[in-house]
Amino acid sequence: MGIAETYTRGRQFAVTRPGSVLLALVGVVLLFDLLAGLATGQHSFSGVGSLVWDGLMRGLVVGLAGIGLSMTYSILNFANFAHGDYITAGAFSGWATTYLVAGLGRADVGALLLVGAGGSVFGGSLGIGVTGTPLAVLAGILVSGVVTVGLALFVDRTAFRPIRDADGITLLITSIGVAFALRYLMQFVFGASVRGTTAQPPAVGLYLVDGFVRIDAHDVALVVVAGALMLAVHLLLQLTKLGKAMRAMADNEDLAQITGIPTERVVRAVWVIGGGLTGVAGYMFILWKGTLGFNDGWLLLLLIFAAVILGGIGSIYGAIVGGLAIGLTASVSVIWIPSAFARAAAFFVMIVLLLVKPEGLFSGRTTA
Amino acid sequence: MSADTERDPPSGDGDVSRKTVPDREGQSLLEVRGLDAGYGDLQILTDVDMDVAGGEYVTIVGPNGAGKSTVMKSIFGLTSHMGGTVTFEGEDITGLRPEEIIHEGIGYVPQNDNVFASLTVRENLEMGAYILDSVPQDALDAVFERFPILEERQSQKAGTMSGGQQQMLAMGRALMLEPSLLLLDEPSAGLAPDFVDDMFDRIDAINDDGTAVLMVEQNAKEALRRCDRGYVLANGRNRYMDDGDVLLNDEQVRKDFLGG
Ligand SMILES: Nc1ncnc2c1ncn2[C@@H]1O[C@H](COP(=O)(O)OP(=O)(O)OP(=O)(O)O)[C@@H](O)[C@H]1O
Ligand SMILES: [Mg+2]
Repeated sequence: MGIAETYTRGRQFAVTRPGSVLLALVGVVLLFDLLAGLATGQHSFSGVGSLVWDGLMRGLVVGLAGIGLSMTYSILNFANFAHGDYITAGAFSGWATTYLVAGLGRADVGALLLVGAGGSVFGGSLGIGVTGTPLAVLAGILVSGVVTVGLALFVDRTAFRPIRDADGITLLITSIGVAFALRYLMQFVFGASVRGTTAQPPAVGLYLVDGFVRIDAHDVALVVVAGALMLAVHLLLQLTKLGKAMRAMADNEDLAQITGIPTERVVRAVWVIGGGLTGVAGYMFILWKGTLGFNDGWLLLLLIFAAVILGGIGSIYGAIVGGLAIGLTASVSVIWIPSAFARAAAFFVMIVLLLVKPEGLFSGRTTA
Repeated sequence: MSADTERDPPSGDGDVSRKTVPDREGQSLLEVRGLDAGYGDLQILTDVDMDVAGGEYVTIVGPNGAGKSTVMKSIFGLTSHMGGTVTFEGEDITGLRPEEIIHEGIGYVPQNDNVFASLTVRENLEMGAYILDSVPQDALDAVFERFPILEERQSQKAGTMSGGQQQMLAMGRALMLEPSLLLLDEPSAGLAPDFVDDMFDRIDAINDDGTAVLMVEQNAKEALRRCDRGYVLANGRNRYMDDGDVLLNDEQVRKDFLGG
């Protein structure tokens, strides 16, 4: 009887949620394939371990960068397409600072400020890295946050605030315009070339069954900075008056107004916090991957959107979890498919998960 | 012009509301004079007058779409102002923003979506006192004493509570600043019949403790029975104004607005 009952229930589930069943089935097949590959020696444990680690790092970058986007979405109700270029702006301002601090006296100031535009200075030859030039990196992190806060406030004042009450589409199109303007301004100033920014960071190899998983100092720096900022945002939202007001406003803006919450001030605070996180995310992204180009943020934005939508747009916890999911997918998928399709795989997973759970993973938990 | 305005209602015509408010417990607290207001370019209210004295309990009744909620929103600065004045405690508050009006001592519980669903009960109440530097402990205690269920459910998400509990939370939130005037928009809406009386009792208690109440109610008979004075609003205009009992017993008002 127990079996019959389980069977009936299973059948019912299969009928009502075919998507979930299919998804589970695909997951089982992939897992089986992976285990078989590991058993036959086609994949190495350490190789898979390295991909997972890489995916987690990528996920932290996407998640950290996604928090700001999710925050502004939940408070202002529009998808800010300029967000990717805030990331790039944070990266350039921060790296210009790092170059300047690390290379002052050793290279031309102009070349340092332009982050070695046109191959005038190389980050590698300046020995830049979290262990080599810790102060320069710290200064870069701070400046990337501060400059991006300034940029976010400036753009809000000039572009978004005048049309605050317009519908989401108007705001979205405006933000696309801002995105292009920022991106090509940065290309004009810093050049279109992609430059290497860091020297090879020291690394340790963690032994895993049949080989080593390499973890370098910049991975560790990313984990520390992203973890600390995510925790800080969580505490801010849950424990502080401003954080609660932000959640209240995301929940019901009219009521927030009636309650006496100064909504314009909260909006400004959201740009400050979201902008700061975004700028630092941009800096850490470059520190981690070791190269910098004017398109970096824009390209990352696609993954960020995927993560934020997957997590349930407007939820910062959704952005973090969605970021990790997307990052892991993009990295680990190369076990089964050619790496050229890794991004596509991330989007595919997003679409499939959304078919199963259309509201996103953390839906209904606006901001909180 | 419809028949009932040609006939002299017992309490006079719409102009009656201009007579001075009976001096009950205090002087005039809220004075709305010749208010024209609406949404965007769409005018809803025309020449609306309304008074609430200190400690008074006033009800607004009228058919759906009469503009009752719009009066409340206009007092709170949430509509487009087109003419007339709103005076509170002798100060002109016409056109002030909601976050300024809340400083004046008016609390407002809107008709719908009146709690922050994703925040806990406690956080909802804290938001009610946002404009203060810290959460006022006496006010919080008073709210908990008035609505013990809120104290029990402090850490529950507001959105998961029943309609009646949410209504209490919304009132509690509005009482956190101990306002001298409380605007309540359909506090009994959506409540099970058993709880409607309970809700009215609680409003009586708030009023007995000295808070003036201006309330919109769909449950018009019960509201008029309990209040000091009532206004009948239709098509965005004043139609009748008198003591609750008088309106309740007025043949024409009963026939046109109270379902016989
Ligand atoms: N935000 C708005 N924008 C445009 N028109 C509105 C808006 N809110 C209400 N109205 C219109 O204003 C008129 C009065 O609405 P109001 O909500 O004040 O009526 P009410 O007397 O409170 O009705 P009910 O008993 O249904 O709550 C209605 O015709 C309504 O359609
Ligand atoms: Mg109404």
